[in-house]
Amino acid sequence: MALLETIDITKVFGGLTAVNKVNFKLEPGQIVSIIGPNGAGKTTFFNTLTGIYSPDGGEINFNGRSLLKLRPDQIAARGISRTFQNIRLFGEMSVIENILVGMHVHLRQSPIATLLHLKGFKNEEAEAENKAVELMHYVGLRGVGNELAKNLPYGAQRRLEIARALAADPLLLLLDEPAAGMNPQETEDVTKLFRSIRDDRGTTILLIEHDMRVVMNISEHIIVMDYGEKIAEGTPAEIRSNPRVIEAYLGRGAVAGQHEEKLS
Amino acid sequence: MNRFVQSINVNELIRPLGQLMVFSLGSAIALSGIALMLALVLDQTAVGLALQDKYNVTLYTYTLINLPQVVIDGLTIGFVYAAIALGYTMVYGVLEFINFAHSEIFAVGAFIGVEFLIAMDSSGLLRSASIGMSYLLLILAILLGMVAAGGLAVTVERVAYRPLRGASRLVPLISAIGVSFLLQDVIRLVEGLTTGDFNRIFPSFGNFDQRLNFGKLALGATNINLGISIKSIIVIVAAMLMLIGLNYLVNATRIGKAIRAVAQDRHTASLMGINVNRIISITFLVGGLLGGAAGVLYALKFTRIDPFVGFFPGLKAFAAAVLGGIGNLTGALLGGIVLGMLETFAGSYMGVFTMGAAGSEYKDIFAFSILILVLIFRPQGLMGENVGQKA
Amino acid sequence: MISMTIRQLFEQINRGYWPYAIILAHIVLGTAMVYSTPRSSIAFLVLITSFFSLYYFKADIRFKIIVGAILALIVIPIVGVRNIFYLEVIFQVCVFAALALGLNIVVGFAGLLDLGYVAFYAVGAYLWAFFGSQQFYVLHFAPGTQPSNLPFLLPGDAFYLFLFLAIIVAAFTGILLGLPVLRLRGDYLAIVTLGFGEVIRVLANNLDKPLNFTNGPQGITPIQRPTMPETVVEWFNNVFGGMIGHKASTADLYNVMFYFFALMVIIVIIFVTRRVDDSKIGRAWTAVREDETAAIAMGIPLVRMKLAAFALGASFAGVMGVLLAASRTFISPESFSFMQSIGVLSMVILGGSGSIPGAILGAATVTLLNLQILQGFSLYLSELRQSDAVIPLINFAWRDLSTQLDPAKYQRLLFGLILILMMIFRPGGLIPAKRRKRRLASDQATAEQ
Ligand SMILES: Nc1ncnc2c1ncn2[C@@H]1O[C@H](COP(=O)(O)OP(=O)(O)OP(=O)(O)O)[C@@H](O)[C@H]1O
Ligand SMILES: [Mg+2]
Repeated sequence: MALLETIDITKVFGGLTAVNKVNFKLEPGQIVSIIGPNGAGKTTFFNTLTGIYSPDGGEINFNGRSLLKLRPDQIAARGISRTFQNIRLFGEMSVIENILVGMHVHLRQSPIATLLHLKGFKNEEAEAENKAVELMHYVGLRGVGNELAKNLPYGAQRRLEIARALAADPLLLLLDEPAAGMNPQETEDVTKLFRSIRDDRGTTILLIEHDMRVVMNISEHIIVMDYGEKIAEGTPAEIRSNPRVIEAYLGRGAVAGQHEEKLS
Repeated sequence: MNRFVQSINVNELIRPLGQLMVFSLGSAIALSGIALMLALVLDQTAVGLALQDKYNVTLYTYTLINLPQVVIDGLTIGFVYAAIALGYTMVYGVLEFINFAHSEIFAVGAFIGVEFLIAMDSSGLLRSASIGMSYLLLILAILLGMVAAGGLAVTVERVAYRPLRGASRLVPLISAIGVSFLLQDVIRLVEGLTTGDFNRIFPSFGNFDQRLNFGKLALGATNINLGISIKSIIVIVAAMLMLIGLNYLVNATRIGKAIRAVAQDRHTASLMGINVNRIISITFLVGGLLGGAAGVLYALKFTRIDPFVGFFPGLKAFAAAVLGGIGNLTGALLGGIVLGMLETFAGSYMGVFTMGAAGSEYKDIFAFSILILVLIFRPQGLMGENVGQKA
Repeated sequence: MISMTIRQLFEQINRGYWPYAIILAHIVLGTAMVYSTPRSSIAFLVLITSFFSLYYFKADIRFKIIVGAILALIVIPIVGVRNIFYLEVIFQVCVFAALALGLNIVVGFAGLLDLGYVAFYAVGAYLWAFFGSQQFYVLHFAPGTQPSNLPFLLPGDAFYLFLFLAIIVAAFTGILLGLPVLRLRGDYLAIVTLGFGEVIRVLANNLDKPLNFTNGPQGITPIQRPTMPETVVEWFNNVFGGMIGHKASTADLYNVMFYFFALMVIIVIIFVTRRVDDSKIGRAWTAVREDETAAIAMGIPLVRMKLAAFALGASFAGVMGVLLAASRTFISPESFSFMQSIGVLSMVILGGSGSIPGAILGAATVTLLNLQILQGFSLYLSELRQSDAVIPLINFAWRDLSTQLDPAKYQRLLFGLILILMMIFRPGGLIPAKRRKRRLASDQATAEQ
């Protein structure tokens, strides 16, 4: 059974159809990439999946249940975690606390136990803290647990966002341009990280990425979006040779004017 | 098209007039209908009987007799609210920020206008003024109030809001609350030191207090007086002129275009070569001008002002702006008129309809109840669009 | 430059045994001054500020607790009974500190701007005012027309029960108001809470008809207090009578008692706040405050978390309301105006939004400014006004100074200035909130490798 399935999912902003009847299926344990030119609707697609926007049409099924009527926090609790294109950490919180926030849905902490610091509470907090440190190490951050998130260098912030998303033990991890702004070495490192996340934890990964080396290297399946529509999908090899994809990318200069028109 | 020569866009002058007519008539008819219906229903109950005992009229007749006056009063105060609400909504549209101090900008306008007239009065000019002269003086008072309030609004923005523009939303709001409180006491201080009294009275002069009677309407045994005081007419006409002027400024001039651009996307607007700081200043200036004029008109209508005079009208106007859909100019007009009407209806009839259990003393919180209801059922307001949060 | 040297000096002093010596010296000096000149404001300020040297100087925590307890539980009551005005001021500081701490949860932790906070205070106050007075039997009388000698509905000791009831009622009110508006953007919440505050005030003013619940603007009185056994008064006089110099009356001891209650509420609030702040709820509040979208994407139920903060803050105000009603034995709508809400807000902002010591410092500073400094200044001015003194140079006779220029009347100016200046120059407040550092043993170990 597919882990995630969207049927004709559509999102309209005023006169602009940012996501247009996108159908797609994601099998458990896959790493799938979404590519497409700027403004293609990739982030908007993520936002409809995670409930930040409610879709104007279509159906989203995750793990056999519909997500349509759920709030974003309920969707997150069902097992979808994400990172953001423009890093959205809790800057005034420490690295560890950022990760602990990611664990929110798994922590019990009844009010009584919280107030009285009962044993259950203390154990759970200690465990959570250990797990958070482990996760921090797992994504490659060391010795920065008490640093404020806003003080980390850019690459470390991207990693921390991934750790925070992993803290919820998601079934599905959505990564929005996780390698953006990284140098080739860093890019290679995070690519390895994604693969090991899938291999170690069995987490299904759906990522948006502009860096074709990452995409071709890691994806088992690729979806191509343009003007809100899914214009192609297939294996990296198929996508590489698909004429529509090439046009969407190479013809971008040529169709830029049209693009502008569609925006306004 | 030549961008330096702008032809007067007649359409932009007529359209708001039409809107105002529709809003005023619509809300008047709707609310009158509701009031009359309620009266008919309650006539059969203890409420109606009590009234019969006391005044020997049916509740229905009572309601009907008072209706014209209620509608006119409602319209008058509604236009004042609308003029203040425009100040809130303009600033909110551009900065997404509640200019909490707008109510004191309004109060300062009122004080400057009234102080000017009091000075004229003590110099004897008012008593000897001809009708034309008294209108001239009134206009002068309004203009002075506008200038003072506009200047103050711009200054406040420069000093207390602009340094905070990058900060989180609550920071400038808290600063604005501070400005509001500060200004209340500053008005009191200045008035106290210069005049020894901070309750000021709008001098009575000219023919503003007279009523124009349109005649009587016979309804069975009772007569309904149709009339309107001249001040009410002045308030309505002046407010209407301001609203039309503002609408023209925003929708048909280059400055208006720039304001709209900044409201839509400040960053992109600045890339297009628009001086964002200047446009924001202009927005505050325009809001302040409207607020100041509204202040003087308010003083004309209600006569007595004190340093806290802005508080309730300000809050109600804000409620009106939200009711209409904050950020939306037409919405502010609609919200102001509807709220003014609602409040006046409630203030006039609630006492009788509830047999004195809840009367006009609840008038002031009526606006908030409306505000909360609107926010529950239609948070984007009557005319606002629902804009999703960006992720 | 100057602040640098002051800081250096402070660092110099703040080590070894110096802090102990300074703290004790400060307390002894303050006590001695107040003891010898019971009317001096300055002496009183010296004593009060010793709490801050206790907070600021580095010393063993046990030392701080013991000294703090002696100061709060013994020295202040004695000094306060000697001059009851001091006790009144301290009680007010405590009441406002409790309110500021409660509002701090809402504004500081959850980032929700509540401009009608005293509405919940009013709910608690009127709750006890109604049930703890004769008001129940006055329901059918217009204000001022009730017969005398009406019985009380409940015994005074029901006060204790109502302390807890107020928590529930105020929290419930908070949830009722919060549910519809907490979904909305923060600035709407500000206006709606402001409106709600006005609604409560107008209701308090007007619910004297059709049934007389609140007695209108005249307010409700007398409101009962819990019983004070004679033996306690005797005991107090036996032990402390000598130091006080006069016989303490039951009324004096009531003042001490309510001061203790307020202190207790403060301690409970601090305890609860810290525990909650160090749990997933506290982290969720901070996350929501920083970035709602990211927080909700991490599975944090936004509305529920905001409601929790709102209700918790409200419940503390409710308790303080009951306390106020009982301690004053009189309650009227005037105590619950918008200005009070802003006053509490300015305490939170001045001290540092989200900071517990900040809220206390803010409350103490603003209350003292209000009660001691502004009023002291007013007194001074009115003395000048009665004298023949003249301002030199401009040749202005003080006598001609308008009574409008009475500093005690300029609270709005004070609150306004605090809010604006803090926002522009020091948005973090006097004692900015600090986040707890964790030990993170496993992380440190790897860091050193
Ligand atoms: N909240 C919004 N309101 C209005 N329009 C929006 C909103 N969010 C996105 N859009 C528009 O929807 C379209 C798709 O945007 P989206 O961010 O999904 O593109 P993208 O594929 O992620 O692009 P990029 O590669 O630049 O991140 C764009 O034209 C964008 O301007
Ligand atoms: Mg994107």
